[in-house]
This record gives sequence, structure tokens and C-alpha cells, in this order.
Amino acid sequence: MSFWFWHGLKKGVRSTHYPRKFESAAGVSPGRPVATEFDSATEAVLAAANCPVDAIVARGSAAEVKLERCIYCQHCHYGNPHLLEWNSDYEWTMAALGPGKYQPLPGAYHRSLHVMVVDAGDCGACLHEVKQLNNPLYNMHRLGIFLTATPRFADVLLVVGPVSENMRVPLLKTYEAMPTPKRILAVGACAINGGVFGRAFMSAGGAASVLPVDLLVPGDPPPPLAILHALLAVTGRKNPVAQMASLEGNS
Amino acid sequence: MIDAWIGGALALFFILCACGLVLSAATRGVYSLRAFVVFSAACSILMMFSSAVALASGHSFAIDLWRLNGWGRLSIRLDMLSAIFLFAAGLVYLPASLFVRNLVEVRFRGRYPTRRYGVLHFALMASVVLILVASDAPLFLISWECMSLLCYFLVNYEQSARMDVRAGYIMLVMSEAGFLAVVVAFLILGRGTPDWSFSSLAGMAEHLSGGAVWGVFLLGFLGFGVKAGLVPVNFWLPRCYTAAPAVFVPVLAGVTLNLGFYGILRLDAQLMSNHSLGTGLFALITGSITALVGILYATTENDLKKMLAHSSIENAGIIVAAVGASLVFHASGYAVAAAIALTAALYHMVNHSVYKTLLFQGVGEVEAATRTREMDRLGGLARLLPGLSVVFLVGCLSISAIPPFNGFVSEWLTLQSLLRSAVLLSSAVKILFALCGACLALTAALAVTCFVKVYAMSFLGIRRGDWRKVPGKAGRTQFPLAYLAVACLLLGILPTYVIPVLNRAVEPLAGASAAASLVPPFFTATPENQQLPPAFVNDFHNLGAQTGRHVLPGRGLVVMVRGSEKNPVVFAMSTSYSFVALAIFLFVTWFIATRSSRQRSVTRHELWAGGIPRLLPEMTYTATGFSNPVRVVFQAIFRPNIVEDSRETVAVHFRTAILRRRDETHLVDRLLLHPVGEAVGWLARLLAEMHHGRLNAYVTYTLAFLLIILVLFRLS
Repeated sequence: MSFWFWHGLKKGVRSTHYPRKFESAAGVSPGRPVATEFDSATEAVLAAANCPVDAIVARGSAAEVKLERCIYCQHCHYGNPHLLEWNSDYEWTMAALGPGKYQPLPGAYHRSLHVMVVDAGDCGACLHEVKQLNNPLYNMHRLGIFLTATPRFADVLLVVGPVSENMRVPLLKTYEAMPTPKRILAVGACAINGGVFGRAFMSAGGAASVLPVDLLVPGDPPPPLAILHALLAVTGRKNPVAQMASLEGNS
Repeated sequence: MIDAWIGGALALFFILCACGLVLSAATRGVYSLRAFVVFSAACSILMMFSSAVALASGHSFAIDLWRLNGWGRLSIRLDMLSAIFLFAAGLVYLPASLFVRNLVEVRFRGRYPTRRYGVLHFALMASVVLILVASDAPLFLISWECMSLLCYFLVNYEQSARMDVRAGYIMLVMSEAGFLAVVVAFLILGRGTPDWSFSSLAGMAEHLSGGAVWGVFLLGFLGFGVKAGLVPVNFWLPRCYTAAPAVFVPVLAGVTLNLGFYGILRLDAQLMSNHSLGTGLFALITGSITALVGILYATTENDLKKMLAHSSIENAGIIVAAVGASLVFHASGYAVAAAIALTAALYHMVNHSVYKTLLFQGVGEVEAATRTREMDRLGGLARLLPGLSVVFLVGCLSISAIPPFNGFVSEWLTLQSLLRSAVLLSSAVKILFALCGACLALTAALAVTCFVKVYAMSFLGIRRGDWRKVPGKAGRTQFPLAYLAVACLLLGILPTYVIPVLNRAVEPLAGASAAASLVPPFFTATPENQQLPPAFVNDFHNLGAQTGRHVLPGRGLVVMVRGSEKNPVVFAMSTSYSFVALAIFLFVTWFIATRSSRQRSVTRHELWAGGIPRLLPEMTYTATGFSNPVRVVFQAIFRPNIVEDSRETVAVHFRTAILRRRDETHLVDRLLLHPVGEAVGWLARLLAEMHHGRLNAYVTYTLAFLLIILVLFRLS
């Protein structure tokens, strides 16, 4: 006889309390580099030069971060003298068109959201993180968010991967097959701007070059809680963070 | 007066038949076709008219013809059983006649040899009517033999392929074997009879011994079962239906199949009233097995015509199972239950004629338009032939027993009458009934699968084959089909008006009235009626069972069997009321949907097909794929012979081509036809040993034979 029921009662609730409480367990997020004030402008330039994808921009003695470009190589975190400060939060979803230009789905979707995931040439990392949302720890069903296999029921199109040429038409067809109102999430650096692939002969360079993306989830890959934050931002239960201070004027 | 009407109609029928025969043979081209259609339609209307008069009045028409030397007097008699079969035949012959014209004009562009076809057609029509009205064995048997031969000629009429000719031969051989069995059955039955009329044969049947009853029953059952398509004597049927010309198959399925049931009912139910329990059980079990085998092969078959042929076998099984149940109830002394089962059988017979004719004509139309019958190559016909697709859908719904169409009523009645076995005493019989009921329920479920497949794979989806629509007068072809579709609907929603008519034939056979117990007179209920107490009526009045009592004629619109005090209603239903409710619900839903979506915008994009760039016909669900689960589950029955062959380039891992062939031998062929064939071959080889000897050996045989004869003479 199986005692799973008893075990379950004994262990209690293990799911995260996010978004009711801030989840602070170790390892739920890789964190993110944040703008850092250095002693001199030279040091800031050296820190920026350390970044292989130009995600760090020197402005005066400060090094500012364009998180949507970051591929999490962690060169600015370990092993060089010009390190940036790290913040260990995970609520970093951004509106693609800038602050104030994003409209969440209407109230009927607050506690019922169906997500269609399209793998548009993903390496598997972002997909893996999306998959984690279904496990008991993150358990997105408790928030009324479900994955669906057909675009006919989907409210959100979650794109991962840089949109390879072979997936461009299927992605467009999926978008067309979805009923309105609908929102598009670009998850991971690849889906935002092509990431390490960039724009190439077989890579469209991100979902935004094909579809009108609404929300960006930076990270390579973003942790599950960052994706969860984005999904909550779609329903209007959370707000996308204002463009980070370091990004102002650059977008 | 009524005699004059019926007699006149029958006489006129034979006169018109003769006229049609002569005119369609004597004229040429379009005139021949016109004469054919007009006279054939008139004849079928007369068939319906004469039988309708007989059924409406409840008056049997009888007349003596001439005396045949040594055989007694030939006489005809249109009793209620004949009238029902005659009406069903007329119902089918009318659209079949009109359909010939459509098909000849569309498919053959008028270049069809209608002259010879007309001769055979009218001769067959006359022989069918003669079979149904014959009231003595000689006339019945002569007409039966004529019908068999004419069917053979008509099946082989187009003679397109070698296999077709072979199918015709198999049919002829089986018909003749069945005919011989029937003749022997009549000879056993009528030993020492003064004349061969059915009434005196019925008198003889009472003196038969137990073994003779079994003999007559089995010979008649299997002999007539050849035409009715019962396992194990039905292996000619799918072959022959596939080979028969499209103009003739509806007649084959809608008319001559019924003659088998007519024979079984006439010989085994009417003439022999002293049945044992065993004969009824035999019929019930045979019917159930036939139904299951028929539908299994129908579900896995991809040729539309062959699939419908197997489905005819299935329906024949259901009808015979109901007849068997009726015989068992009759033998056990439950006359009312016997009457209900027999009503179900006759109802299903009429229904089957109607929807099978509709489906066969639809398939004929499909074949005329696309030149193919393979479901794997069809698809998307709904856009090509919209009118046909609607009526074909009605046919499919009817045959899969979906309310409010006619198949539902009769299959429901059949299953309910099998459930009435609870009243029987013997528990072995009860178990057999339960098993047969389960068999028929499985059959009904598979029938739904089968016809979902037929409609979805041929009419929905996208076109799979490279066929091209043959241009033709598509508009005119829908009338006969629409007529049959309306008949399907009416037979489905008005069972309470059909059952009393069927009851006229059932009552003398079963000895009890089915209508009295199946259709309670809610419309004409009076407080004095002991059968229907006011309290009971009141309960059902609140449920709406008396709705429409002031407007509609008849007894009521509810089919119901009443039970004891403890269990007041055994079973009840009303397709009439549910049809009205269904129509109202559909209308309200449509109304709300259109009103509520008025403000919304509707955008249309192309079909969602998993995001693939282009949906190719090869990617869509095929008929083979749809029915494969059935094929896998029932593998023990199908016993397929799978041959797999592959071609490799370098090693086994680099295959360039895989060939997978699957051969199936039909269950009956495997278990009966092939062993019998092998046995005959073995015997022939044994005899051939003797034949191919030397002359000296022959002389020795003769001498030995002579010696044996002499010794025997001496000894005796």
C-alpha cells in the first residue's frame, strides 16, 4: 500500500509562497548584475570591456547594465578586478515597448491563463526552466496558469529561442491561430535579441523581429520565478519593472 | 370493395411490368430509358399502394390462379406479412428506379444498355412480387428460382472484371444450394400433404417429429439465410455486392436481402408454429455472431461498397437475432415479449432497406463523380457534393442508430427485447441472451465507429487522391436520395404510428398484440380503461406524455412497456418528443449564439495544422489509421498474414524501401470455404488416382464390382 497521502500530509506545503511572499530560498535565482559606481571612469570602461556582449555600458564613473543583452557568462561576477554588484532578486520582466506602453490582459484572465509555448530554436535551457513551472515547488497551476498544446485555447504565446528560419513560419501561424486578446512573451536572451546567435542567415534574431512582443524576460536562461513573474505581469497581478535606471535613454 | 382495390392494383402492377418490359426492350436510346423509369416508378408506386391498402384495412387479399398438374392449385394471397415486405420493396424500388436514370445520365452519359437491363429489371420486379404474394410452395419456389437467376444476370450485367464474373458464379452456386435446401425443407414438411398451399403445409407441421422440426428449420434457415446473408453462408455477399453495377446494388441490398427474412419468417415462424427452445436460440446466436462478424469486417474495410456490404450482413444479423429472440419467447409462452421482438425485427428490416438503399445510392453517386471508392483516396467530398453529403450524413446517422433517425428506434427495441429475457425461467437461456445482447451492443458501438470513419474519411477533411470531379448534372441526382432521407427521419420520429402497422403482421405470428403493450393509448385514455389507470396517466401527463392529444391522431407518441406494480415502467422512450425538444434546443442555441456574437468581430485564418508550412493530403488521418485500433484489438479474429520486405543499400540500417503487405482471409472463408474446398480437392485427387490407371485396372474394377454384386445377391 502506498503512503503517499500520509507522506504528503507530513511534509506539508513545499510550494513557494511567491507571489504572496518573496521567495528567498538559496538558488532560486542566479541574480543579476546591477549598475555599479566605480572609483574612476577608467575602471568603469575596463569593467564594460570585460563584457563579451556589450551588456555593460560605461557612463562616467558608473557601469550601467543592459540586462536584456546579458548572457550570464558571469565575467563581471568572478575572476576579474572590476566586478559589478549583484542583486539576487528575480522580478525583472520588462515591457518591450518601454514603461507605460504595456497593457495587461483584462480582469477575466486574472486567475485563468493558458500558455502556449513555442520552441523557436531553443537550446533547451529556457524550455527546461519553463518546464520547472509545472513542478511542485513552483506549481503554476495554483495561480490558474496552464500550458496548452493548441493555440486555439491559448492567451499567451511564450517564445523561447532565437527564431530559427525553420520555425519562423510555424511561429507566425501559431500567433495567427490564437484568439484575441493575446500577449507575447519573449523568454531568454535569445528570444529577446538573438542572444549568442544574434541575427544570422538562419536566425531571425529574436521574436521581436517576427511578432509584436509585449514582455521581455531577460536571463540566459531566466529562473522559473522570473518567468512566473512575467506570466503574472500578463494577467496584471504584478507589474513589469520599470526599465532599469541603467537602461533609460538607451532603448 | 377493398379486394377489388388490392386485386386491381396487383393486376395493374403485372400489366405495367409487362408493358415496361416490352417497351424498354423495343425502344432505343433515351426512349428506352424513359419507358424504363416511368414504368418502373409506376410499378413501385402500385406495390406500395396495394400493400398500403391491405395494411390500412387489415384485410388479406387472396385469389386462386390456375391448377398445375400434380402440384395442386396455384394461389396468391397478400396477407399482412407479405404486405409489409411488399411495402418495403416498393419504398426501395421507387428511388432505385429514379436513381437508374441519374446514374445512367451522369456516369454513362446516356450510353448505358438500358434495353437489356430493363427486361431483367422488370422480370425481377415481377418475380419479387410473386414471391411475396405466393401462397403455395410451387409458385413460391418457381418465383424464387426466377429471382435467383435474374439476380445473377443483373449482378454480372456490366461484366467489367474477371473477379466480378467469379463473384457472380459464387452467388449463383450459393443461391442454388440455398434453393435446394429450401426445396428439401418443403418436401420434408409436406410429406403426404394433399396440396402444397401454405395453409395445408402449416397443418402438416403440427405432426412433425422433433428431429424433422429441426431438419426443416435448419434447412430453411440456412437456405433462406443465403439470401439474407447469415454466417456461415454469406461469403458470396461482399464479393457480389462489390461486383454488382451501381444501379442494381440498392435493389440487391434493399429488396432481395429482405426476401431472405421473408422466407425465414414464412417457413420458420409461420408455417412451423411448434418450435422448441433450441431453434429460437440457434437463430439468436447465429444472428448475433453474424452481426458481430459483419460489423468487424465493415469497420476495417476501406472500399465503400464492400464496407456497406459487410454492414448489410451486420444488419441482417440484428434482424435475425430479434427473430430468434421472438421464437424463444414464443416457445416459452411469453407471447407479448415475442410480439415485441418480432416488431423490432420487422422495424429494423424496413429501416435497413431504407437507409442501406440511401447509402448504396450515395456511394454510386460518389463513384460516378470521382471514379473511386477507396476511402483512403477520397476526402473533402462535402465541398464537392454538398447536397449528397447532407443526405449521406442522414444515412450514416440512421445506420449508426443515432436518434432521431430510424435506426435508433429499431436497434433500441431489439436490445430492449433481449433484456426482457429476465422473465425467462432457465438461467442458461438467460446467460445466452445476455451474451447475445452484449454481442449486439458491441456491434452497435462498432457501427458508430464504422460510420464515423465512412463519413469523416470520405466527406470531411481534404482531398487525398488525384481524382478529378467528373462533370455532370449533379443537381438532379439528389431527389431519390432526399426522399429516402426524409423516410429515415419519419420512420425515426413516428414509431408510434409505424408500430401499429407492423403489429398487423406480428399479431397472427406471435399470438399477441405488440402495439397494445408498446404504445399505451395516452391520447385516447379514458378513466374506465383498466390497462391504463388514471393515476398512471396523471403521472405521465405531468411529464408531457399527453402533449398534442387534441391535435394529433393515433394512440400516443410514447413507446413504453409497462411492468408490474413494483416496477411500473420496464422501458420507455419517445423519439417524437425528443425530436421536438432537440429542434427547440438547437434553435434556442443558434438564436443565443447569433445574438450574443453580434458585437464581436470574427476573424478567420487558415486551419490550424500544428504549424506545419503546408498540410499535404498524405499527412492527414487515413481511413486505415482510423480503424487500426479495431484491427489490433480483434487480431485474433482477423488473423492477418503480414508480409514485410525491405530493401537496404549498405547494411540493414540503411533501408531505402519498406514493403508491408497485409492479407486477410475472411473468417467464413478461412473456417468454412477453404476447408470444404480442400476436402473436395482431396476427394477429387483420390478419384483421379483411379481414373488415371491402365485399361487392365479398369477391367479389374468392373470384374470386382460384378463379383461383389453377385455375392450380395446370393447372400440375400
